[in-house]
Amino acid sequence: MAEPYAGGVDSVNSSVYVDDVNIDLGSQALDTTVNGERTTVTPTPDTTAAETLRDELGLTGAKVACGQGVCGTCTVLLDGAPAASCLLPSTALEGRSVTTVEGLGGDHPVQRAFAAHDAMQCGYCTPGFVVEAAAFTERWRAEHGDTAPTRADIADALAGHLCRCGAYEGIYAAVTAACTGAFDTDTGVEPTRAEAVAKATGRARFTTDVRPDGCWEAVVVRARVPHAVIGRLDTGGAVHVDLLPADRTVRYTGQPVVAVAAPTLAAARAAADAVEIEYIERDAVLDTGTALRPGSPTVYADAAERGAAPSSSEGVTVPGRWDGNLRGPLSLGLRRGTAVRRINDAHRKGDDRLFAAEFSTAVQAHTALEPHACVARWDDDGLHLHVSTQTVTGVAKEAAKHWGLAPDRVHVSAHHVGGGFGAKAGLGTETIAAAELARSAGAPVRLVFDRSAELTDAGNRPGTRTRIAMLADAEGRLSALSIDTWGDGGVSVGSAVAAMGMLIYGRAPRRVRDYDVVTNRPPGRPFRGPGGAPMAWALEQAVDEIAVRLGEDPIALRQRWDGNPKRQALYAQAAALPLWRDRERGPRTGRFRRGVGVAAANWPYLLDPSAEIELVVEDGQVVARTATQDIGTGIRTVITRILRAELELDADQVRVDTGDSGPVPGTGSFGSRTTTSLGPATTEAARELASLLRGGAASGGPPSREALKAAEGLRATGQRKRDRRGFITPVPRSSEIALGRGMAGAVHIMEVEVDTLLGSVRPLRCWAGVASGRIYAEVPARNQAVGGVVQGIGYALYEQRVTDPATGTVLNDNLEDYRLPGIGDVPEVDVYFHEQGWEHVPGGGVGLGEVSTVGVSASVANAVRDAVGWRPLDLPIRPDRLLEGIR
Amino acid sequence: MTTTIPTDIAEAAAALRENGGEARAGGTDVMARANAGLAAGPFTDLARVRALGGIAWGADGGARIGATATIAEIASDPLLAAAYPALTATARALATPQVRAVGTLGGNLLQRNRCWYFRNPAFSCHQDGGDGCPARAGDHRNGTVFDTAPCVAPHPSSMALALLVYDAEVVVAGADGAESAPRPARDLYDAADPTRDHVLAPGELLTGVLLPPPSPGETAAYRRATARSRAEWPLVEAVARVVREDGAVTRVAVAAGGVARTPMRLAAVEDALSDGPAPSDAADAVAGIPGQCTPLPGTAHKAELMRGTVLDVLERALA
Repeated sequence: MAEPYAGGVDSVNSSVYVDDVNIDLGSQALDTTVNGERTTVTPTPDTTAAETLRDELGLTGAKVACGQGVCGTCTVLLDGAPAASCLLPSTALEGRSVTTVEGLGGDHPVQRAFAAHDAMQCGYCTPGFVVEAAAFTERWRAEHGDTAPTRADIADALAGHLCRCGAYEGIYAAVTAACTGAFDTDTGVEPTRAEAVAKATGRARFTTDVRPDGCWEAVVVRARVPHAVIGRLDTGGAVHVDLLPADRTVRYTGQPVVAVAAPTLAAARAAADAVEIEYIERDAVLDTGTALRPGSPTVYADAAERGAAPSSSEGVTVPGRWDGNLRGPLSLGLRRGTAVRRINDAHRKGDDRLFAAEFSTAVQAHTALEPHACVARWDDDGLHLHVSTQTVTGVAKEAAKHWGLAPDRVHVSAHHVGGGFGAKAGLGTETIAAAELARSAGAPVRLVFDRSAELTDAGNRPGTRTRIAMLADAEGRLSALSIDTWGDGGVSVGSAVAAMGMLIYGRAPRRVRDYDVVTNRPPGRPFRGPGGAPMAWALEQAVDEIAVRLGEDPIALRQRWDGNPKRQALYAQAAALPLWRDRERGPRTGRFRRGVGVAAANWPYLLDPSAEIELVVEDGQVVARTATQDIGTGIRTVITRILRAELELDADQVRVDTGDSGPVPGTGSFGSRTTTSLGPATTEAARELASLLRGGAASGGPPSREALKAAEGLRATGQRKRDRRGFITPVPRSSEIALGRGMAGAVHIMEVEVDTLLGSVRPLRCWAGVASGRIYAEVPARNQAVGGVVQGIGYALYEQRVTDPATGTVLNDNLEDYRLPGIGDVPEVDVYFHEQGWEHVPGGGVGLGEVSTVGVSASVANAVRDAVGWRPLDLPIRPDRLLEGIR
Repeated sequence: MTTTIPTDIAEAAAALRENGGEARAGGTDVMARANAGLAAGPFTDLARVRALGGIAWGADGGARIGATATIAEIASDPLLAAAYPALTATARALATPQVRAVGTLGGNLLQRNRCWYFRNPAFSCHQDGGDGCPARAGDHRNGTVFDTAPCVAPHPSSMALALLVYDAEVVVAGADGAESAPRPARDLYDAADPTRDHVLAPGELLTGVLLPPPSPGETAAYRRATARSRAEWPLVEAVARVVREDGAVTRVAVAAGGVARTPMRLAAVEDALSDGPAPSDAADAVAGIPGQCTPLPGTAHKAELMRGTVLDVLERALA
C-alpha cells in the first residue's frame, strides 16, 4: 500500500536519529551529552529525565512541580528544543544533547536580562522560564534580527510555564530586552534583587533540592474516605509514623493517616501502596447545602471534637456557638438595629437605592510551585530541618515544643522558599513526619508533597456565600449595610469575611455576621488577604451597583463615602487616568466588548514587634544574619539596600544570610509584616554598627575597607522600634504580632475585553494604586504588587477547587485542571505607590503583599459589568457562567 | 516492568505482542499517567523506529505523515501549511511548545481521555477495567454534550478533528508488523465502546496518516473555547476548511471536539453550507446545533459554546 511513498518522494525528515541501539535498561548505561560534556548515566528503569538529571547528576536547577508537563519548571533543552523533563523518559537521553539551566553558562543574555528586570519572585519557576526563553530568544533573533517581539509572541513561546507569584511583567520585559540584544554584553547594572543571579542560574537551592548522602524518601498515605474511624492499620513492617489525631478519626478524603519511608522513592511508594487501612465509616457531609439541612450527619459530634477543629483564620479564633454543622455567628456592627430597620423599610418600599444580592466565591488553592517539603536529620547537635516555610522561627519554636528539645538543639533552614501565600505558616505534616521517620530510620529523610497532595491538603482559601444589602439615602450617602457570610472551609472554622466590612466606608449603620459551615472536606488556611478578597468581591460590587443606580461615577462615589485619606489620594490619581477618564460609556455592541471597572481595598497593618537582626563584620564584609526567610517578597534585598545605604558600602561588602534559625528571632513572612518589622530593625542595627565602627563618635564618613577588615568580629543587633503613639494592641516586646495604627489601601482600575460568543474575559490593562507608605525597594515592591493583580485575576476568572460530590475527593488535583493564570492572561500593569501617611511608623512604610490583591477580583467583575451589563455574582467568572448570564 | 526500545516496525510489533502494555512515542501522555500511577508499563518505546517518522509526499500530491512525526514538525512545515491549512492551524494551537516539541501525531490520535475521574487513581471506571462511570453521577462539567454512550469523557484529540475534515486515512500495522490497507481516520474511534479511547487491538501499531491531494486556495480556521488564553484543554474545539474553485466556495468541512466520545464531523452544518455560502450564512447553519445536543445534567452550557465555537471557525474560514 505504501508504494507511492516507497522512495520517500520529497521526503522531509527533520528528526535526528542515533545509531540503532537496543537498550535493556536493566543492565545498560546510557551515553548522553549534558551541558556539553559526554557522560554516562545509569537510571533505574522507567525513571524520567528530570529524576536522572536532579538525583543522579545533581543538576537541581530544573525542578519538578507538577509531574504532568504543565508548569514548565522542569524544562530542559533536548537537542536545542525545550522539553518537559518530567515527561521525558530517561531513555530519550541516549545519544542526545541536553542543556539545563546550569549549562547556559550564567552569563547568557537571557539570564542577565532576567536578573536585571527582576523577572522572578520566589524563583522556583525561574530556571524553566530561563531555559525556554533562551531557546525562544535564539530562534527569534535568527528569524527577525534584534527586534522586539510582541507580548503575544512571548506569551505563545512561554505558554508552557506557570509562575504562581505572578512575576510576568518582569519576564515580558526581560525576554524583550534579550531579543533586542540589550544583554549580549555585561551591562554592568546590578540587579535589584539580591539573589537574582542565583535564581536565574539555577544555583539557588530550595528545600526540594536538598538531598544529603544516604537520604531516605518518605510518602504520606492519605484517607480514601471522607469520614471514618481508623481501625486496624498495617504498615507491613515499613518504617512509618502514625499521623492520625487522638480520636483516630479521619474527617476528609486526603487526610494524612500514616507516612512511610524507604531508601528510595520507588521503595517508599511501594511501601505506601502496601499499607492496609481499616476504615470504620461514618456518614459524611460533602457540600454546605447538605451540611445545613436538619438531620444531616455532623462533622463534629460534640464540644470536645469541635474544640479541636482547625482554623483557617490568621488571628485568634473567637469561640463560637454551634448548631450541627453551623458555627456562629460572629456578629459585629454599628447601630445594628438602625441598619436592619432601614434595610427592611427600603425593601418594603421597593427603594431602588437598596441593592441586595447573594454572592459566592470558590475555594482557591495556594499551590505554591515549591510543594510543602522537609528534609530532616538527627545528630549529636539535635534536630536539623530544611523546610519550605514562611516562618523559620515559628517552625523552630514549635519543633522544640513538639519534641521537647532545648531551643539550641533545633536547627531550621530555609534559604530559598518557592512561594507560600499563607500555606506554609508553621510546623506541618511534612516536618512532623520527616523528623519522626528520620529518627526511626536512623537516616536523613526527605518528604516532598506531590501536586495532588498540594492541591488537596496543603491549604486553601475557603469558599464563601455572602448576602449583602447596601442602602443609599436620598443624598446618595451610605445609609445602611448588612453582610452575612457563610464560610466553606471544609473541616476548618474561623471565617472572618463579613467582619472586614467593619473597616471601610465610614461609620454608617451596619450589621456584619460571620458563620462557618463545616463539611467533610480539607481544611482552609490563611491565604493572602484572608477574608478580605471574598469580602471585596461582594462589597466592591455592591458599591459599584449603587453607583450605577445613582448614575454616578464609581470613583466619585467612593470619594464621597471613603474617609481614608491615603485612598483619597489614590482616587484622585485614578480619576485622572486616561484609562478611566476616556473609557467608553453607554451600552456596548458586537462580539468583543470592553469595559473598565474600579475597586478599592483595605488592609490592617500588622507587624512583628519582636523581630531582630544581627550584623557581624566578617572578613571585611558586613554579614547580616536573620532567621527571617525570603519567600520571594524581597526581604533579602530590603536588608541589603538598608545596610548599603546606612553604612555606605559597596555590593561586595555586604552579605545577607536569611532563613537560618538561631538565637536572634526573625519574623514570619505572612500578614504583610516582614518588611515593616525587619526593615526598621535593620536600620537600628546598621546605625549601632556604624557607631561601633566609629568608636562611639557621633558622626563620620563611611568605614574604609581597611577599617572594616580591622573590625573583624564586631557585632550589632537591631530591634524593631515601637511606632509613635504605640500600637492598637498593647503588646509586650516579646509578642510576635501587633496591630498597628492605620489601614493600608489600594485602588485597582481594570480594563477587560469580553468575548460574548465564547464567554472568555481577557484583562487588558490595569492600574494598581497602593498606599502602604514608603517603599523600601521599588523594583521588587512593584513586582509583588503586579503579582497581587495576577493572583486576583486567577481568583476572579479561573481558579476553583472542585470536589467529588460522592467522596469529597479533590478532582482537579493537578495543574492542568486547577487553572493558574499564565503569562498570556495578565494585563499590562501600571503600579503607582502613594508613599505618604505612615510617618508614625519607623521607616515610614508598611506591608503591601495583601492589600495589593484584595480588591482585584472585584475590579474584574465591575469591568465585566461595565462591558456587558451583567453582574457576575459567582466567582470564578467561567465562560459557561458568562454565557448564561448575558443570554 | 521493562521498557523495550525497538528499531523497526516488526520489532515494535513483536514487543507489543509479547510484552503487552503500551506503545510510547513522545511520552507526553504515557509519562503523565505513569507519574500519576495510572500507567505501569511495560512500554514499547518508539523513538528509534525510523520508519515511523517523517513527512513524505506521494505521487498524487498527498502527504504521508509518520506516526511519530512531532506536532512541532507538523506545525512548522511550510509545505503542509500550504497544502493542509486546517492541519497546521490545529497543530499550532494545541498544548504548549514543550509538549508539541516531543508529542507526536500518533500519540495525539491515540492518547487517553482527560476525564478527572479516569485520571485519579482513587476512582475506577469503564476505562480502567471497572464497570461504572463515577463522572456520570459526579461532577462532569467537562463531559460530553452528546450523551450517547456509557462513558462521558470527550475524545481529547485535536489532530483527529483536522484529519476528519480532510477525510484522511490511517495506516496500521498488525501484530505481525505488516501494514494493512489504509482505513478512514474516523474508524479509529468507536463511541459505543466505553472501555477505551480508540479501537486498535493490543499489538496493533499506528504507523502513519495519509492525506488526500491538497485543494489549492483552501482556507481554514481552528478555535478552542477556553477560560484562559493559552495552554488549556478546550471546553469545545472546532476546525473548518473551505474549498473554493474560481473564487466560489465549493465545499465546507467542519468538525468539533470536546463534545462527544469521538471526534465529530458536523454533516448537517456542512449540508446547510453546500450552496456557495457567505460568512453571513454561517449563523443560520449552526443555529440548530444546541437543539441537536443531548447534554448531561452538568454539560448543558456546552451546547451554546459549541454553537459559538463552530460559528467562529466557519466565519473565519469563509471570510
